[in-house]
Amino acid sequence: MFSSLMLVSLLMLTLPIMSSIFNTYKNSTFPHHVKNTISYAFITSLIPTMMFIHSGQETIISNWHWMTMQTLKLSLSFKLDYFSMIFVPVALFVTWSIMEFSLWYMHSDPYITRFFKYLLTFLITMMILVTANNLFQLFIGWEGVGIMSFLLIGWWYGRTDANTAALQAILYNRIGDIGFIMAMAWFLFNTNTWDLQQIFMLDPNLTNLPLLGLLLAATGKSAQFGLHPWLPSAMEGPTPVSALLHSSTMVVAGVFLLIRFHPLMENNKTIQSLTLCLGAITTLFTAICALTQNDIKKIIAFSTSSQLGLMIVTIGINQPYLAFLHICTHAFFKAMLFMCSGSIIHSLNDEQDIRKMGGLFNAMPFTTTSLIIGSLALTGIPFLTGFYSKDLIIETANTSYTNAWALLMTLIATSLTAAYSTRIIFFALLGQPRFLPLTSINENNPFLINSIKRLLIGSIFAGFFISNNIYPTTVPEMTMPTYMKLTALAVTILGFTLALELSLMTHNLKLEHSTSVFKFSNLLGYYPTIMHRLPPLANLSMSQKSASLLLDSIWLENILPKSISQFQMKTSILISTQKGQIKLYFLSFLITLTLSMLLFNLHE
Amino acid sequence: MLKIIIPTIMLMPLTWLSKKNMIWINTTTYSLLISLISLSLLNQPSNNSLNFSLMFFSDPLSAPLLVLTTWLLPLMLMASQHHLSKEPLIRKKLYITMLTMLQTLLIMTFTATELISFYILFEATLVPTLIIITRWGNQTERLNAGLYFLFYTLMGSLPLLVALISIQNLTGSLNFLLIQYWNQALPDSWSNIFLWLACMMAFMVKMPLYGLHLWLPKAHVEAPIAGSMVLAAILLKLGGYGMLRITTMLNPQTSFMAYPFLMLSLWGMIMTSSICLRQTDLKSLIAYSSVSHMALVIVAVLIQTPWSYMGATALMIAHGLTSSMLFCLANSNYERTHSRTMILARGLQTLLPLMAAWWLLASLTNLALPPSINLIGELFVVMSSFSWSNITIILMGTNITITALYSLYMLITTQRGKYTHHINSIKPSFTRENALMALHMTPLLLLSLNPKIILGFTY
Repeated sequence: MFSSLMLVSLLMLTLPIMSSIFNTYKNSTFPHHVKNTISYAFITSLIPTMMFIHSGQETIISNWHWMTMQTLKLSLSFKLDYFSMIFVPVALFVTWSIMEFSLWYMHSDPYITRFFKYLLTFLITMMILVTANNLFQLFIGWEGVGIMSFLLIGWWYGRTDANTAALQAILYNRIGDIGFIMAMAWFLFNTNTWDLQQIFMLDPNLTNLPLLGLLLAATGKSAQFGLHPWLPSAMEGPTPVSALLHSSTMVVAGVFLLIRFHPLMENNKTIQSLTLCLGAITTLFTAICALTQNDIKKIIAFSTSSQLGLMIVTIGINQPYLAFLHICTHAFFKAMLFMCSGSIIHSLNDEQDIRKMGGLFNAMPFTTTSLIIGSLALTGIPFLTGFYSKDLIIETANTSYTNAWALLMTLIATSLTAAYSTRIIFFALLGQPRFLPLTSINENNPFLINSIKRLLIGSIFAGFFISNNIYPTTVPEMTMPTYMKLTALAVTILGFTLALELSLMTHNLKLEHSTSVFKFSNLLGYYPTIMHRLPPLANLSMSQKSASLLLDSIWLENILPKSISQFQMKTSILISTQKGQIKLYFLSFLITLTLSMLLFNLHE
Repeated sequence: MLKIIIPTIMLMPLTWLSKKNMIWINTTTYSLLISLISLSLLNQPSNNSLNFSLMFFSDPLSAPLLVLTTWLLPLMLMASQHHLSKEPLIRKKLYITMLTMLQTLLIMTFTATELISFYILFEATLVPTLIIITRWGNQTERLNAGLYFLFYTLMGSLPLLVALISIQNLTGSLNFLLIQYWNQALPDSWSNIFLWLACMMAFMVKMPLYGLHLWLPKAHVEAPIAGSMVLAAILLKLGGYGMLRITTMLNPQTSFMAYPFLMLSLWGMIMTSSICLRQTDLKSLIAYSSVSHMALVIVAVLIQTPWSYMGATALMIAHGLTSSMLFCLANSNYERTHSRTMILARGLQTLLPLMAAWWLLASLTNLALPPSINLIGELFVVMSSFSWSNITIILMGTNITITALYSLYMLITTQRGKYTHHINSIKPSFTRENALMALHMTPLLLLSLNPKIILGFTY
């Protein structure tokens, strides 16, 4: 009974979209209307979630039979298990705050109504993705969030960079989709179903291929190494978009997909160690990239990428529940970090470079507080939200019998997290102001304050609540030596101290010659430089020179139409320009006649 | 079936007897009514076919194509109004008559029971199309395009006539309904291989198969808007329809003869998609994207499984509506900027926001966004090709990626960016144009609610 309330709260989200079809709203109030709807949906969704935590009863709701093809039945079905039941309220809560934040951030945009519609459509597709019980429905959500991210990254469509970034996001996501489609095809072929519970019940053997496909899909959607460059580029979108899509909801879809398929994954060691290595590489690489960036949004984007890598690592050590816990806690503080940076950027007249900030703790005390708490939560300082998931993950990794190399990379990345967080705090908030003297800084807008405050409370307490409600059976009680227990904290504090000392020491030094290590980090490991130039160039010149010019315009054109017409032309010229040599012609007739006579007669 | 054919024929007197200011509205309304009548064919109560007479029948494969044909005539009429506004009255009437004649022939082609009458009607559709392309096209290259169109199709289909006569000798009947009960396998001989080739090449040229596709971009680029629409939406599907029909009697040759053509299609699909990435000409881009989508249909038909047949049928309908809509959108740009070059129309979103919404929807359906019927078609084809051979997923996946790229590249180049100065004084989009786009989009959206009516006879 209570689980149907979940559907009610999902249905509520579609109401503003419906009202926009029937044109029964006023433009000026529509954004507020959307924000309120989401807050109501959040409150409604709390009831079934609480009942679920109380009773632990998982539900599958199948309601609309779409079609049956041969032996495959497709219907609209929702899976309301632990993951979707916890994630829906979290996502709604975060979105609610971000919507309120957008009211402040986007208030001067002439198309704010459309912006809210896009955000809402995105939220709906995300909810479809999370609650879907069959692969087709999951795919609808999966592609839906991809397209909405395209539209939202390209929001300022007059800018070339925004358009490029949007196209880039779609390209990388589509490469991931190949994997998803392959997994769909494999499951259809081998298990004859797309329903999740049936796939798990059949528990097919030799699952390397579909799980590789799903890993590829997750790599694309969650920006893992190899398909990661779109996430930092996506920062071309408005800050609320970065906060909602590219930190808390859409990018975790890949991790969520792997969590959904953990019943298959937990038996497949090959894929697990692949996942572990992929996650470890991502988390270290992106943390290194984050160290030397100067754009505040880029730093936070790389930090998101690094955290996604951590989640994938967690799945690699076979702890899907912990990965899920990190998804939920990460949503709070990462969305808040983006909103804080949005507040700073807006106040400094769209200045994103942290070298041109400084001293903001006097001018923007509230934003400063939130930013520091968010950063501390991100690094996993005890008893803030991030601690509950991150510390557990690293402890579990420490005590597990897995790849020590991957483990070491994760630990280094954890330490670097503290380092780049320090860097943001040090450059943006502390020291002397370096921004233009006449910027009017004002953070006293209720939309801004309330939305950040809500997430601030979430960043402090949410981890405690969610981790208290995780199944006791899924995370084994751990005992370990004290030094291992303190490893995570120790590397974090090490990162903090080192970064602070280095920043203080080098603050007044001038960078004469950038070292190769610095260049590697600052140019994102040369990855975009190489991958965004050579393959597209090769591909596009292939399509121009080989496909279009050589094959289409020359070979195919010449072989059939041109050569035939040439042949006809030649023969007709040859025949029609005869020289009047009647004798010769008759002689040739005579020869053929004689020959045919002879032949026919001999045949008898 | 006469209840659809005779009213369609009667459209011609209606055109000639209408008053000057009424020709468009009369014909559009009347043809829309005809398309509403044809909707009843979608209800196929029995699993067999609806036999109306000895001449005409309809089954779950031909019914959706038939409805698409009748649905497209009013849309073509709506789309051509501006294009013909400067022409004298008599030429307008002639133009409408040509469209109606093409429509009549197409309806009869899709419903013919006899292979020979199918063949004759199939060839007869060339005539009005050729006239439309060469008479009302915009540039002098249209003559060349018409030549290509005519000769490619004729060269491909003449061997079919010979093949059909030989089959008639072999079986004593060319009736579609009887042939499906004629379950004899063709003996394995050289002549039967040529029989297979003769039967399939006609339709493969029409689809078109990669390598034989040159006529299509030329014809599309040079044809007037209605010509492009009908070419992309229906005439290409004639090839698919013919292949679906004729493969039932070409066993077991198809099982080994299909390989080169499957390879060619899989290869050509990627080649044509990559050509799309480098197009500057909007109509040419859409034409190449048609070739790439039709390659999927060829793959699906040649694989010959129930799922692939479903995919082929769904993809044909979905692509018919989508590509026709894209051509309409391209035409609405052309009427404003007087150029098919994409970069000259950039930034149109600022000036024509509603048109940008249509562009967005059309691009999204073109790249097969779930749950549109384009996705259903493509997904089924990918599923069946994956089960045929696992490796094809690499090619299919590459094609899916490139398709998304060029669709969005088209969207971004025409709609996004800063607008240019010469489009400062363009006309706003007319209600007629918006209605036209809506009439393309609505069936696409509604069909995704209930796709089983377009899944063909293996559903």
